[in-house]
Amino acid sequence: MVDITVKVNGATRTGSVEARKTLSDFLRDDLDLTGTHVGCEHGVCGSCTVIVDGRAVRSCLMLAVQAAGSEVTTVEGLAPDGALGALQQAMWDSHSFQCGFCTPGFVMQATAFLSAHPDAGEQEIREALSGNICRCTGYQSIIDGVLLAAHRSREIPCGREADRGGRR
Amino acid sequence: MTQIAAERYTGASVRRSEDPRILTGQGRYVADIKLPGMLHAAFVRSPLAHGRVLAVDVSAARAVPGVVAVFTGADLEAMTVPGPELLLSLMGGGGPMPEYTLLATDKVRFVGDPVAVVVAESRYLAEDGCELVDIDYENLPPVVSAASALDAGSPPVFANLGDNIIGPHKRSEFGDVTGTFAGAARVAEFHIDVHRHQNVPMEGRGCVASHDAACGVMTVYAATQSVHVTRMGVAMRLGMEQDKVRVLAGDIGGSFGLKIGASREELAVAAASRALGRPVKWVEDRVENLTASGQAREESFEVRAAVGDDGVLHGLDVKMVIDTGAYPVMGTMVPTIIEMMLPGPYKLAALGFESTAVTTNKASYVAYRGPWASETFVRERVLDLLAKDLGLDPLEIRLRNVAPRTDPPFTMITGRPLVGVTSKESLERIAQVVDIPAFRRRQAEERARGRYLGIGLATFIEAAPGPRSPEGPSGPMGLEHMRLRLADDGVLTLFTGQMPHGQSHQTTLAQIAADEFGVPFGQVRVVVGDSDVVPFGLTGGSRSATMTGGVTLHGARQLRAKVLDFASHLMEASARDLEITAGQVLVRGDPDSAIPVGEVARQAASGQFGADVDTNFEVEASFDGGEGGWSGGSHCAIVEVDVETGLVKVERYVAAEDCGALINPAVVEGQIRGGIAQGIGAVLLERSAYDQDGNYQSATFMDYLLPTACDIPRIEIVHLETVPLDADVNFRGVGEGGMIVAPPTVVNAIEDALTPFGVRIYEQHLPPARILELIAAADLG
Repeated sequence: MVDITVKVNGATRTGSVEARKTLSDFLRDDLDLTGTHVGCEHGVCGSCTVIVDGRAVRSCLMLAVQAAGSEVTTVEGLAPDGALGALQQAMWDSHSFQCGFCTPGFVMQATAFLSAHPDAGEQEIREALSGNICRCTGYQSIIDGVLLAAHRSREIPCGREADRGGRR
Repeated sequence: MTQIAAERYTGASVRRSEDPRILTGQGRYVADIKLPGMLHAAFVRSPLAHGRVLAVDVSAARAVPGVVAVFTGADLEAMTVPGPELLLSLMGGGGPMPEYTLLATDKVRFVGDPVAVVVAESRYLAEDGCELVDIDYENLPPVVSAASALDAGSPPVFANLGDNIIGPHKRSEFGDVTGTFAGAARVAEFHIDVHRHQNVPMEGRGCVASHDAACGVMTVYAATQSVHVTRMGVAMRLGMEQDKVRVLAGDIGGSFGLKIGASREELAVAAASRALGRPVKWVEDRVENLTASGQAREESFEVRAAVGDDGVLHGLDVKMVIDTGAYPVMGTMVPTIIEMMLPGPYKLAALGFESTAVTTNKASYVAYRGPWASETFVRERVLDLLAKDLGLDPLEIRLRNVAPRTDPPFTMITGRPLVGVTSKESLERIAQVVDIPAFRRRQAEERARGRYLGIGLATFIEAAPGPRSPEGPSGPMGLEHMRLRLADDGVLTLFTGQMPHGQSHQTTLAQIAADEFGVPFGQVRVVVGDSDVVPFGLTGGSRSATMTGGVTLHGARQLRAKVLDFASHLMEASARDLEITAGQVLVRGDPDSAIPVGEVARQAASGQFGADVDTNFEVEASFDGGEGGWSGGSHCAIVEVDVETGLVKVERYVAAEDCGALINPAVVEGQIRGGIAQGIGAVLLERSAYDQDGNYQSATFMDYLLPTACDIPRIEIVHLETVPLDADVNFRGVGEGGMIVAPPTVVNAIEDALTPFGVRIYEQHLPPARILELIAAADLG
C-alpha cells in the first residue's frame, strides 16, 4: 500500500492505496466522488475524464499513485454547493444529455477545452470532444451546449471563471 | 427554455428536471451503490466458442486473501431453482426451450460464457481470483454461422434440442402470392444481409444484491428497463415469492433494449448474496459488455419481388433466417414482427413470408432499438434496387407505391390499417426540404471532378403504439398503469412503472400532469424504480409517449375531478364552477376565492368531513392507448464517398417525422438524433465480429468502433403536422424510428454515390475496406 496526498476539488485528501489502483477507482471508491464514471477502462470513451493540474486526463488510465501531489478537479468540484457552473447551465439549457452516464466526462473535457480555447467554433469543439463517446444524443445537443457556453462567456466576460472549474 | 413563459408545459422544450443532478455528478447509477459489508463479484468466462467443461478447479482462487467465495456452475445449480429463460418464455413465440444452467456446467457455448463467479472484498481481488480458476475444457466444433446451424449435421448447441433450430421454419401468405408473382411483369431476386451489431450503452449491466435472511427479503439494486420484470426473474430462479424480492433502480446509463429481465450473471450475484449473507455487487466491464451482454440483428433475407414495369411493387416473397446466438432470449419473437411490418406504408398486394431461427455459438441475440428494423432495411433497399433497374428516381418509385391517406384507411396486407399514416406527406416534404433536382445537378458537376456524392431516401412506420384494433379489448399495447397522489404540501406525485434510462420521463410526464391537473411543473414529482411502490410497467417498444403520457393525462384528470368535488364542499360552490390553475383551486373568474391545492388537501385530511365526502386524493389510473396511431417519417442522407480510401462522410441528414403531438420537442429531437447516430454507426463503423472459430473480434472500443462527434452531422428535423385520432392523447412513440430508418437511408445514399461504378449493395455494414471491395468487384463484373 502506498500513502498518497492529492488535492481534490480544492481540499487536501489522503489515502492508502494499492499501487495498481486507478485514479478513477480512488476517486469513486476511496473518496466517494462517484460523479466520475468508468465507461471502458481502456481510455477510449472519455467518461472518466477529470482535470489534473489543468489538463483533461482519463482517470481510468492513470494510477492513483501517479496523482500524488497533483491538483484534481472532478465534476463535483466545478460548482460547489449544488449550483451549476456556466457550462453546466448552458448544457442544461441546450438539453445536452439523455442518460447522463457520459455527462461528467464531456463536462470536464469541455471545461478544459474552453479554458484554453474560449473562442472555439463548432468544428474545433467537435474535434476537441471527439475522444468522448455518447451513445444517446448524436452529439448535436452537446456541441450546442458548449457553443452556447462559449458564446455567453464572450458576452459576459466575468462569467468565465466559473466556466473553467476554478483554479488555473 | 420557455418554461416560465409557456401557457402550457406540454409542447414546450421544458428543461429537464433530471439534468441538475447528472450535470453535477450527483446521479445515482448502480455502480455508485455502496452498502455496508458489500462484496464484489467477477466472472470467469469461457475462452472457447464451444467446449465441454471437464473439470473446474477453484482451490487456488479460494486461497487468495480477500476472496470470500468461488461458485461454479454446479454450485449455482444447487443454490437456485431450474426454470426457463424468463424473456424467452414470455416472448419467445412458443418454440422449443433449450435446457442449460445459470453458469456453465456441462458445456460452454460462446466466448464469454460465464463458468464461475469469484466473490471478494474488492473487484481487484475478485479478478485476481478469476485468474486462478483452472478449467479443463474439451474443444467442440463451433457452430458459427446460421448456414452451418441449419445443417442437420451440425453439432447441437443444446443437447435436448437435437439440432440447432430454435424457431422452427414457418410460412405465412397474405393475399394471392402465387397469382401475383405469376402475373408480374418482372420478378427480381435478391439476397440481403444484416450484420450483427449491438446496443453498447455507455453504462454496462450491473447490480447489487442484498439478501436479508432475517426478513427473507432480497433487495436488488438494478440497471433495468423494468423493476418488475427483473423482480419476476429473480423470484423465479431463486425460488422466492415475488413480494419477498424488491428491485430498486436509480439512474441508468442507457440500455437500448439490453437491460430487460434478469441476466444469468445478475441471478448468480443474487444467489451469491443469499448464500453469503452479505451484499454483492457486480458491474460489467467493457470487455464483458461487448463480449457477453448480448448482440443484435444478424439476419439474412432471400427476397423475391413482383414488380410492374411502372415500378409498382405488387408482391414480396421473403425467406428470413435469424441467428439468435447462444442462450436464446428474444430473437425468436423478431420474425413475427418483421412479417407484420414488412409491407410498411406501401400498397403491397401480396406477401409470402417464411422464417427460421437458429442457435449458434455466439453471444445471445438481444433486443436492440427497433428489434424488427430489418423489415425497413429490406424493403427500402429493395425499392432502390428496383428503381435502378427500371430507371426510376428513388422518390418516384416510393410515391408510386406509398398508400395515400384515404377514408377508410388502406389496410396493410398483413392486417393493420394505416390510419393516420403520413408517409406520402413526409416523402414529399423531405424532397422539398432537400431540393432533389438541385442536388442532382451538383452531383453531376462533382462527378465530373471525381467527387462521388449520393442521396438516399427511406421511409418507415412504427407501431408506437399502433392503431386500435377493432377486436382488441385492451387497445393497441395492453394497459398502462399509474398511481397519482396529491399530498398536503401541494405536491402531485406520479408513480409509474416506466424505468427511464435517458428518455426524460421525469420531465415529460410532469409536463402533462402539470397541465392537466393545474399545478406548476415544479410541483409534480415522478417516482420510478421501486418494485414495492410503482405499478407494473416496462420502458420499451416506444410505448411511453402514448401509453404513459396517456395514463398521466387521464389520471391527472380523474384526480382533479376528485379534488374539485371535495373543494365544492369546502368552498360551497358547484364543482362545475371550480377550476385548478397554477396550483390554486378557485371559483372560475373569482381570483379572491383561490385556495392552494395543498391547503385543500390538508382540509381533506382533517377528518372534519363525513363518510359521504370523498377525501382520498389518490387515484389508480389505467389507459388502453385510446385510438393509438402510427409514428413514422422519411429520412434523407447526402453522403460523399472517397473512392480512393473508401471513407464515407455524411454531409447532410434530414428527417421529416410524424410522432403525433410533441410533449417536449427537445426531448423528441434528442431521441430522433440519437437513433440516427446509432444507425449511421451501424452502417459505417459497428460490427460484432467473430472469426471462423467463433473467437470474438470486437471486444474493446478499439475494435468495436462507435461514432464520435466528428462522424455525425448536424441533423435537420422537420415535424409534420399530425393527424389527430384520439380526443385527448395524440402523443406517439419516437424512440426507435431513427435507428430503424437511418441504415437504409445511408446505404441507399452510398449506393447512389457509387452508381458510376455499377455498385449494387445487398448488405448493411459498409466500412472503408468493404466500400473498396464493392468498387473493385463492380469493376471486374
